[in-house]
Amino acid sequence: MERPGAPISPAEPISQAYSLALYMQKNTSTLLQTYLQYQGSPFSDPGFSAPELQLSSLPPAAISFKTWHALDDGERLGRAQGAFLALSQHLQLVGDDQSDLNPGSPVLLAQLGAARLRAQGLLGNMAAIMTALGLPIPPEEDTLGLVPFGASAFERKCRGYIVTREYGHWTDRAVRDLALLKAKYPG
Amino acid sequence: MAVFAVFQTTFLLALLSWRTYQSEALSEPLPLTPESLKVSINSTQQCLHLQWSVHSLAYHQELKMVFQIEISRFNTSNVIWVENYSTTVKWKQVLHWSWESELPLECATHFVRIRSMVDDARIPEPRSWSSWSSWEEVDEQNSLGHGTLFVFPKDKLVEEGSNVTICSISRSYQNNVSCLLEGVQMRGEQLDPNVSAFHLNNVPFIRETGTNIFCTTGRGDGTGTVLFVSKVLEEPRDFSCETPDFKTLHCTWDPGRDTGLPKRQPSQSYTLFESFSGKKILCEHKNWCNWHIAQDSQEMYNFTLTTENYLRKRGVNILFNLTHRVRPMTPFNVVFKNISDTNATMTWQVHSIGNYSTLFCQIELHGEGKVIQQHNVSIKVNGNYLLSELEPDTQYMAQVRCGDANHFWKWSEWIGKNFSTLEAAPSEAPDVWRNVKSEPGYQTVTLFWKPLSKSHANEKILFYNVVIENLDEPSKLQLHSIPAPANGTKLTLDQCSYQIHVTANNSVGTSPASVIVVSGDTGNKEVEEERVNVTEDGFSMSWKPQPGDVTGYVVEWCDHPRDLPCDLQWEKLGPNTTSTVISSDAFTPGVRYNFRIYGISTKRIAYLLEQKTGYSQELAPSDNPQVVMSNLTSHSFTLSWKDYSTESQPGFIRGYHVYLKSKEGQCHPGFEKAILPDDSVSCKYKIYNPEQKTFVVENLQPESFYEFFVTPYTSVGEGPLDAFTKVTTPDEHSHLLIRIILPTVFCVLLIMIICYLNSQWMKEKCYPDIPDPYKSSVLSLIKSKENPRLTIMSVKDCIPDAIEVINKPEGSKIQFLGSRNSLTDTEITQPAYLYLLPTEKNSSGPGPCICFENFTYNQAASNSGCCGHVPVPLEAPSQLGLLTSPENLLKVLENMNSLGEIPAGETTLNYVSQLVLPLSRDKDSLPTDPPVPALCSEYKMQMAIPLGLASPPPNEKSSVSSVTLLDQGEPHH
Repeated sequence: MERPGAPISPAEPISQAYSLALYMQKNTSTLLQTYLQYQGSPFSDPGFSAPELQLSSLPPAAISFKTWHALDDGERLGRAQGAFLALSQHLQLVGDDQSDLNPGSPVLLAQLGAARLRAQGLLGNMAAIMTALGLPIPPEEDTLGLVPFGASAFERKCRGYIVTREYGHWTDRAVRDLALLKAKYPG
Repeated sequence: MAVFAVFQTTFLLALLSWRTYQSEALSEPLPLTPESLKVSINSTQQCLHLQWSVHSLAYHQELKMVFQIEISRFNTSNVIWVENYSTTVKWKQVLHWSWESELPLECATHFVRIRSMVDDARIPEPRSWSSWSSWEEVDEQNSLGHGTLFVFPKDKLVEEGSNVTICSISRSYQNNVSCLLEGVQMRGEQLDPNVSAFHLNNVPFIRETGTNIFCTTGRGDGTGTVLFVSKVLEEPRDFSCETPDFKTLHCTWDPGRDTGLPKRQPSQSYTLFESFSGKKILCEHKNWCNWHIAQDSQEMYNFTLTTENYLRKRGVNILFNLTHRVRPMTPFNVVFKNISDTNATMTWQVHSIGNYSTLFCQIELHGEGKVIQQHNVSIKVNGNYLLSELEPDTQYMAQVRCGDANHFWKWSEWIGKNFSTLEAAPSEAPDVWRNVKSEPGYQTVTLFWKPLSKSHANEKILFYNVVIENLDEPSKLQLHSIPAPANGTKLTLDQCSYQIHVTANNSVGTSPASVIVVSGDTGNKEVEEERVNVTEDGFSMSWKPQPGDVTGYVVEWCDHPRDLPCDLQWEKLGPNTTSTVISSDAFTPGVRYNFRIYGISTKRIAYLLEQKTGYSQELAPSDNPQVVMSNLTSHSFTLSWKDYSTESQPGFIRGYHVYLKSKEGQCHPGFEKAILPDDSVSCKYKIYNPEQKTFVVENLQPESFYEFFVTPYTSVGEGPLDAFTKVTTPDEHSHLLIRIILPTVFCVLLIMIICYLNSQWMKEKCYPDIPDPYKSSVLSLIKSKENPRLTIMSVKDCIPDAIEVINKPEGSKIQFLGSRNSLTDTEITQPAYLYLLPTEKNSSGPGPCICFENFTYNQAASNSGCCGHVPVPLEAPSQLGLLTSPENLLKVLENMNSLGEIPAGETTLNYVSQLVLPLSRDKDSLPTDPPVPALCSEYKMQMAIPLGLASPPPNEKSSVSSVTLLDQGEPHH
């Protein structure tokens, strides 16, 4: 294992992660629309948006540009890593919720499963970048904590909405993070 | 037992009296007070669950009691429910009671209290309520957790059409909550400053995954709940049970709609309960269930079919005697035996339904997809039935089903099988008709027959046999075998009578024969053709019944009369029939069909009775006649269309329309104004007789322009609009001129011909030949005296010495049209004598000088007026010209030398001297030499010029030829 200070070139893992993030970005909108379409009104209403809905267990992607720009590599990658770790766990939860609420919707369930796998793939790529940059990899945490199993169907629909929405936001942010790193560590 | 009861009652009375005494003594309420009241909540079912006990009961004591329960909402004074609950209370018993709240219990604090009263008959009146228990408070709001807005109930399962109350709790001060069901605002009610209720009546089913209700305060916070609406559970319909074999009962029903919701409520279940046996089974299928019949042969059954889901339970009941619910199993082993051409025996077997049971079976025979026969038969185990009246060589399907003969309930399923009957000879004689054409010495008989129907052919027809029997010589028989599928044959027979038998043959045998007779004398008289009536069904025709024995009638016609062969059709009718309607798919509008009706005598000879003709639908004429115009005068012309055939038209021609257009625009008498299809206006004359094919258009104006057009018409309309023929009437007088000029020209020509034919006579009369002195008979007399020279003077022997020019009044103006010799101005006013001297050596000749006076020989004749001027050849003016002036003399002579060069066209004829041309002995001497007399002597010479030489016919060619002669100077003998 390489020691920090003598890293291998981070360009390749950054490039790989960047490509994956770009690919994910193309599908996030479809995932959100598919998800909302299956939840019924008001979710499926045209132009539905509820930005005030948030999940405490999921870090928001929104960040001021100044703060974001001032982040060092470790913080930048660490926050993204934490977010996608939480997202992959939440996508699993949403998948379970939807297999209960919409058991006859294989398209939605497949898209949720695919999103979760891509989030995990991006996590792996980010870990490779951090290794290449000699940064410490944060330990995997149980971001969900105590799962609110007693959530009502409506709460679960909202939860899924927030997760799929934030998945899109975090993917957008990851593309920018990685583009920044790509510029910083050219191959 | 009775002793024990008495003891117990006594004990109870004693106890109560003791307690009464005690209460009176202590003045305290009866101690049978509900105690240990506990209230719990079932949020899912929105139920308040109460439990309490009555401690004061004695051991094994049972007492009927009434408990009064009061429920308040929000505060104790707001009582929303009071209910009396009666029950028997035992010693140490914990009592339970539930109350379902319309409002979700999370939305409001509820208070419950209870009191009791003994309601047992064993306890004497008066009775009074115990004191109330203390209020028990039930408040779920404390457990709501964080948040500002809550909506209840959560994930509630309801039936479609039910009423639901939704409540919201807002923890914000500005409580203005609105809720939407699938985008539709719900009617709200404020229950409390923080609590609102929304009443939802008749909840609709929207989707299996639930109906969202979304609530918001309008200040950015929102939440909701999902209602899971299921279909209402229906009662099973058409529930019935039957047994095929007394071993199992097969029960079926119509389950109605499925009330299942995925992951929320499974589909409704079905349970079968039989009350006599007390057995109960859970059905695996939603619409049928099998019940095993026990060996003890239970006869009556009382079934209850129960269906239930989370929300409802329903049941239906049937009671029946097992023996009345027998539906046999499907018969089996169907076999056909002894199949012939018309019969077959069907056998089958059935499953036994008991030792003494009888089955009632139904047999159906199908042919070509239709039920032909139906039979019923009772059997025990083996069934058989003879199917008869079948068609040979035909495929059939027979099927059988059975029911219980004793107590018929239902038929079994059908079981069927196909079979085919055997082949047979054709059963009917072919339908034969004939067409006879008599020729001198023989007759041509064309036979036609129709193919036999499948039911009569019985198998494929292989050939037809035609047997011809000469009735005059019965021993003579001819057999013709004609292979199928021919539908006719042609026979050439002599004039004898023949009986013709036609049979159809298949591989099995021969059909009955169809017999017709043709006689040498067909006896077909000419009958008048009548028009036939046309109805919707076809051509309707009737004919007069024939006196005497007629075995039938035949109507024949051609389906395609314009084709060859014309597809002869016929219809045979019975002897009592005198009318029929002929229809055919081949009948097309606009085609004339001819029908011939024959009567068939007892000798089977056909006699033509009537002829009919008609159209299935008449059409307007398709073309117009070729009209010929003749006799055009200034006032009329004649139109004629004799070649137009009225027979071959697409309808009966009723007449003609003659259209006439004129510039005047006014119609002549008899014509009427008509507007043509092209909207032009014309005059129309109607001819009502189709055979009138000429028409004289009269009363026309001379030198006027007319247009005409003739078209036939039928009952449907007239022919197509064609181009009008244009005609202009001639001038009124032109024909007169023609009448005069033509005869005049003819007369002139006639006279000319006559003149020509009599020209010789005319010539002799008008200008006879000048006698030639050389040819005179006198000459011969002189010759005989051998002194010819002394008698006649030769001109050449004369030498002119002077020419006397005489002024001639009639010839005063001589025109020479020749270009070179134009002497028009020359006038000879008085006689002049020109003295001519010999100028050339060869002109010298012997003889005395002669004065030549140019007196024409024929002047007298000219003066007589009998003949006109005689044309003279060219040399005459030349000679004349040289006479006019002395200077011209030499010129003239030169010209004479070159006479041959004078164009023939320039030669002109005029009145000139006539003289005998010099007949030179010397060829070298020029004929144009002027006649120079050797001696001057006064001599007036008159000579006749031979006709053939000096008087040429009045044409240029002839003059040229004479000039040529002159040029050559050859003697004319």
